[in-house]
Parts: sequence; structure tokens; C-alpha cells
Amino acid sequence: MSGCRFTVARTAAEAVAGLAEADGEAHIIAGGVALVLLMNEGLLQPSWLIDVSRAAELQGIDVADDGAIRIGAAVTHREVAASARLASVCPMLAEMAAEIACGRVMNRGTVGGSICLADPQGDPPAALLALDATFRLAGPEGGRDVAARDFFRDLYVTALTENELLQHVRIAPPPTAHRGTAFGKYAARQAMDYASTVSAAVSLARDPADGSMSDIGLGLGGCGTIPVWPQKTEAALRGRRPDTEAFAAMRAALAEETAPIGDMLYSADYKRHVAAVILERTIKAAYRRAGGGGPDP
Amino acid sequence: MSVAIRLTVNGERHDLTVGATETLVSVLRDRLGMTGTHKDCCMGICGSCTVLVDDRPVSSCLLLAAQIDSQSVRTVEGLERDGSLSPLQEAFLTFGAVQCGYCTPGFLMTATALLEENPRPGRAEIVEALKGNLCRCTGYKKIVEAVEAVANG
Ligand SMILES: Cc1cc2nc3c(=O)[nH]c(=O)nc-3n(C[C@H](O)[C@H](O)[C@H](O)COP(=O)(O)OP(=O)(O)OC[C@H]3O[C@@H](n4cnc5c(N)ncnc54)[C@H](O)[C@@H]3O)c2cc1C
Repeated sequence: MSGCRFTVARTAAEAVAGLAEADGEAHIIAGGVALVLLMNEGLLQPSWLIDVSRAAELQGIDVADDGAIRIGAAVTHREVAASARLASVCPMLAEMAAEIACGRVMNRGTVGGSICLADPQGDPPAALLALDATFRLAGPEGGRDVAARDFFRDLYVTALTENELLQHVRIAPPPTAHRGTAFGKYAARQAMDYASTVSAAVSLARDPADGSMSDIGLGLGGCGTIPVWPQKTEAALRGRRPDTEAFAAMRAALAEETAPIGDMLYSADYKRHVAAVILERTIKAAYRRAGGGGPDP
Repeated sequence: MSVAIRLTVNGERHDLTVGATETLVSVLRDRLGMTGTHKDCCMGICGSCTVLVDDRPVSSCLLLAAQIDSQSVRTVEGLERDGSLSPLQEAFLTFGAVQCGYCTPGFLMTATALLEENPRPGRAEIVEALKGNLCRCTGYKKIVEAVEAVANG
């Protein structure tokens, strides 16, 4: 029998107290989908696991009347995919969650686990970058907010310190009534080729008068060593209509901002090509939802 | 260090003392002798270790038994009733949906959960629900037909 401890935190405060007591030796476990895989592969031998999957403050999805969203860190991908309220306010989130692996992974894997694991190809991180989400962290000195766009620092390195945990995610209300959001993903084996996927998350507003795009938020999975927030690509699209010229400008900027990791299935060059294709399609889908019309991509 | 947990497995209560890092699939197979749940990739990719926890399919290789204290687990051993196979198991036999059999318990559990949630799924819904389970004998067609037969009752 292993020498590992296992404690169940009923609240965020209990988890924070456990982290402090363990003095850097504890790992938070939520769904366990990622952590237990690392253990099975012999890459991690934890000495203390703190289970936050039932912690009170980490539960639930709340959507306010103005469209502001709060998602608890321990909310599963299944819950995100099944929330009708979320799907109506921000279709991208439901669309993203519904395409994560398959039912088995969705039933256990959590939003917080995906964020804190910080896989470069993670789908929730890409979506939350596009939506300019805010992450609420709980720690020994109380709570602090970190912007999603500031959270991912390097390959598997985040803004979390060893005594902190992620409590919830907040997303501001849509900037205008003419917002559209969409999520697109490319994988060879649709269900499970997670390690090689390329994904794009798009949030944009469409000016009903001239059809131009504004408030553009983009997030990319599988395009670098961290989930990528392509700011230059956003700038290249801003103020334009989604036409041939806009997409040419998008591709030029995107090539500068993406440095995918080549793998067993796809080379870095191929992923960069796929990213441009997926991003263009996803922008068109978001634009259509923003009331811009146009054929299905 | 050990953790005391209580699991209800196929309706029967088990008070167990497990290691903190013991996976559910190991507890089922090595402690409870329920070897119907198969262990293969240990990465959540193949689906052969699929069991139902509180009636939802999960990969028992990516789940520690300690994480599901006081929850209920259903395995392939729990599908039969009074010595008779479930209608889905019968359909697997009728349609020849079993070749080597390694993936079968995982497919049965995934499809059982689908049929409980949605007793009349269409073909597309069946394929979608089964997309995470691998059969390397290339037997998907007959598996889908077997589930479809039960759905069309
Ligand atoms: C077969 C397979 C397919 C997959 N497919 C996809 C896919 O298509 N798209 C995708 O995006 N992901 C995919 N994943 C990844 C998976 O969805 C995520 O890794 C999973 O959601 C992680 O959530 P979890 O709750 O299980 O995390 P855990 O395994 O419990 O934890 C993961 C990491 O996050 C930390 N952590 C968890 N919660 C917190 C918290 N609240 N505060 C601080 N730290 C925390 C843990 O310490 C650990 O380091 C796949 C995984 C597998 C095994």
C-alpha cells in the first residue's frame, strides 16, 4: 500500500488549509482524469492528495440576468455541456464541452482540472482565453483574481502558487446584443485524439450597420507550449468584415503567433495550417450567430 | 496510508480499506475478484474498463477508489438478473457483436447507460455514445446493430 495520504476537502478553506499543512507536497485532485493518468504512467507519485471534487464553493454554474457567468472549478465537462442556460448565453462553452473526448471523460473531468493542468491543447483554456475570463484563486491570504490571459505562463506552468487552488471562473456579460461565439476543433479520431488536436475559440461582435467585427476574442489550443491568446490576429481582424482580405490578414498574423509542437500524428507545419482553416471556419460560425448571416462553413 | 471507504457494487455494500492511490479497476479486479471489468490502456483511451458510477460511465482506470467513497458502482457482473442475461447482452450474442471479447464489458456498460438515459436512441446517438470505446477486432457494425435492436425493442 502506498504512503500517500488522501483527504476530502468540503470547502475551499479546508483545501487551502491542507495545502498549507502539506507545505508544497500535496496535489489537488478533482476528477482525477489527468492526475491518475500521470500516476499510471509512473510520472507522478503523490504523497498527499486533496480531493476538491465535493468542495462547496467549487460547485455549480450561475448565469445572471445580464449574462454574467460563474462556473465552479469542480464543475464537470458534462455539466457544462448540459446547461441550457449556458448554451443560450454563450453557445461556445456548451459546444466546446460536448466535444471533449467522450462521455467517460466528460463525466469526471472538470473545468478547473483542465485549466490547472494547462495542457497546451486543452479546450476549456482556449475558450476562456477568447472570453477574457477571470480566474478566482483561493489561497492562505484569501482570494485573488487572475485574468485567464495572464494565467498560462509556460509549458504546464501557471500563475497558481503551490498553496493556492482555483475556486471558480467568471465571464463578463456580452458587450453587445450582437455577439456571437463559436468553438471549432480538428482531430483525426474525433473522440480521443486529444494529444494532437488543434482548436479555436471565437467571441466577436458584429456591427449591425456596416457588418464589421469588433470585441474580438480568440483562443487557440494545440498552437504552442501554452494555450495561445493570439492578440495580433485579433487586431488584424478588428474593424473588418469577414471577407477574403480579412482572412488573408488573419493568416499572416496567425503564422507569427503560433508555434505548435509537432507530434506523432501531425507536424508543426501541418498544425499551423489546420489552425488557420479551423479559425476561419469558427469566425464565420460566430459571425453568423452574431446575426451576420452567410452560409454554413 | 490507507483510506476507509464504502462502495455499493452491483447493489452490494462493501466496506473496504484501500490505498490512497489504488484505482477503481484494481479494487474491482484484485480485491473483489470481479475480473469482468477489463484493464488495458490505463490512459482512458480504450474504454475496456468502463463501469458506471452513480449510473454514469467512467474510466475505472483513471479513477481512484478513494474518490468515490459512498457512491455506487455497476459492473458487467451486475447486468444479469436472476441468472438471465440482460436484453442487451442477449442482443450482443444474437448479432455476433463479440469477437475476442476484450472490449465487450466496456461496450456493454456504455450502451447500458445510454439505453437507461435514452431508451430509444437513433443510430447516430448510438454511434456518438460508443465513440470512446475501441474494438480492435473491427466489430463496430454488429455492436451498433445489437444496441439498435434493443432500442427498437
Ligand atoms: C482520454 C482522454 C481524452 C481527453 N480529451 C480531452 C479533450 O478532448 N479536450 C480537453 O480539453 N481535454 C481532454 N482531456 C483532458 C481532460 O479533460 C482534462 O485533463 C480533465 O478535464 C482534467 O480534469 P480533472 O478534474 O480530471 O483534473 P485532475 O486530474 O483532477 O487534475 C488535473 C490537474 O489540475 C490540478 N487541479 C485540479 N483541480 C484544481 C483546482 N480546483 N485548483 C488547483 N488545481 C487543480 C491537479 O492538481 C492536477 O495537476 C482528455 C483526457 C483523457 C484522459
